[in-house]
Amino acid sequence: MNSLKLLPRRVYAFLARDFRLFVSYRMQFFLRVLSVLGVVTTLFFISKIFVGFTDTRFTQWRDPLAAWLTGLAVLNYFMTGFSSLANAVRQEQMQGTLESVLLTPINLPTVIVASSAWDFVQATFFSFLYLFFGWIFFDVNYSGSFSLALVFLLLTTLVLASLGILSASFAMVFKRGDPFAMFLGTGSALFSGVFFPTQLLREHAGPVSGISKILPPTYGLDGIRRVLIEGQGFREVSEPLITLLVMLAILLPFSLWVFGRAVRRAKREGSLIQY
Amino acid sequence: MVSRGEDTTTTTGDRQITKLPDEAPVAIAVDHISKTYPTPFARLKAFFRRKSKPPVEAVRDVTFNVKRGEIFGLIGRNGAGKTTLTKIIATLIQPTSGAVLVNGFDSVQDDEAVRSQIGLAGAEERSFYWRLTGEENLLFFARLYGLPDRVSKERIADLFARFELQEVARRRFGELSTGNKQRLAVARALLANPSVLLLDEPTRSLDPLAAARMRELIASLARQDPPATILFTSHNLAEVETLCDRVAIISKGELKAIDTPFSLRALTSDSERVHLAVAGLSKVTIEGRFGREVKSWIVKPTVSGVEISFDRRRGDTKLDAAIGLIRENGGTIISIESERPTLLDLLESFEAEEETSQAVSGNRR
Repeated sequence: MNSLKLLPRRVYAFLARDFRLFVSYRMQFFLRVLSVLGVVTTLFFISKIFVGFTDTRFTQWRDPLAAWLTGLAVLNYFMTGFSSLANAVRQEQMQGTLESVLLTPINLPTVIVASSAWDFVQATFFSFLYLFFGWIFFDVNYSGSFSLALVFLLLTTLVLASLGILSASFAMVFKRGDPFAMFLGTGSALFSGVFFPTQLLREHAGPVSGISKILPPTYGLDGIRRVLIEGQGFREVSEPLITLLVMLAILLPFSLWVFGRAVRRAKREGSLIQY
Repeated sequence: MVSRGEDTTTTTGDRQITKLPDEAPVAIAVDHISKTYPTPFARLKAFFRRKSKPPVEAVRDVTFNVKRGEIFGLIGRNGAGKTTLTKIIATLIQPTSGAVLVNGFDSVQDDEAVRSQIGLAGAEERSFYWRLTGEENLLFFARLYGLPDRVSKERIADLFARFELQEVARRRFGELSTGNKQRLAVARALLANPSVLLLDEPTRSLDPLAAARMRELIASLARQDPPATILFTSHNLAEVETLCDRVAIISKGELKAIDTPFSLRALTSDSERVHLAVAGLSKVTIEGRFGREVKSWIVKPTVSGVEISFDRRRGDTKLDAAIGLIRENGGTIISIESERPTLLDLLESFEAEEETSQAVSGNRR
């Protein structure tokens, strides 16, 4: 109970720390902003190749630039939700600071949640930047309910965070070589419809296309595009919404259980701070 | 200072040691602690018939109590189990068996409560954020302890003044000297005003003057009201002898002895070497006039007279007899010094004992 009361203060502690560390590397920030602008500009020119060729079957892809930018913005956020938790443990382990943080009256789940807070702040900023650059420089317009899109974003991020907890548990025990990161990192770009419609997979890749159905980003991305690009409402997007809720209901308790076991194992082996 | 009932006070070296009463409350209770580091994935390796290293037994059935306000030393060679034991008390490692209670809280069941009672200063420089200043580092940790910012800033300013770190407070941690890093680590351990302090070689990288000040500070923490309990590990045995109320010697994971430094020294031998500086007598006079009893004396001429050295058992009459003899023959005693066995001698004797028993069991096999 006390931990819960102190959680905002602790999250603030990590945010303030990471902000200080962040401003000590200013150059990195400016280069990243430039790289987002570079990607958006490149996609704008690629989208010009498809002017007049867009297949009308794929309603979300009538403006491919809008679809790509939404895909990249959302993927960036999803991947943060997934990877930041495991990275939080790994980074503190590698810096050698995990032990001193764990010596304070703070539990490991709080450390993980709080130390990934800055990653979410950054991801929010850079995801917004993809959409903002598209809107301000290349006339990409978004319609529909932004609050409904936000629900999809949060829900998918939570599902991915559950997988992130599994990944953090893996990092705690095996230290490196996380299979979740490989599966989701490579898998999402290919199978979740970031760069092309998932319908094409069904037509050309046969049974392999089934992978897209088990990846949470597929549903999150589909829902967000339906809302922001096609302007669909709550009823029309209920199917991906329910799918994500079911995934969350299964994955969250399971991942927390696995995480508890991983922490106990690391403490037993004395390998909590090893990397 | 809290009432200590029938406390008695003695002076050892430059520190006044307060003998704690037996009924002083226990701050740290280590009860039959054992720790064996298991072989990772042993079952999996066995299944695939892969060779695996045997489990490492780091601590074996260790039991001791540290009383409130006590400075308790833990000494032993590298790999003896001191760090494992300290980390078990600090809740960073779970024991294989046994229990540790800190102010009544169990280190496994109530680990958060235990951590709110303790401060640990280790010898690890990497435990700070190198690109943050000393002040920013401490502020971060103070927030993790749940201290409000105003209180944290006052406390940090106070600690910087106490450790003479004001001038470097706004320098990045990576730019600090090793000694200042070490002092900052101890300052961090004191951030939340813990009742139990675990200090792992706190004077390791300090110059002699700074080390002396650190020792003074550690001693003052045990004297403050309410007193802090200090578990102290060091390889500087003279420091341990000077500072600690009691000392535990740990070797190969086992507790070998536990007592006051004075009583521990007596474990090695109850004899001591006495050195007398004498004026008004020459080596020739002593050898000519003194009787048989001085045959075991070593007599060395000095500028003002002679230095006489001899071995005696504590409590015998040899010293008294020597003083009488010197006075009867017109000599003046300028100084008396005694050379007793040190903790190092004791540590060496335990190591030798261990090696002998290993050799014997090896031969039997």
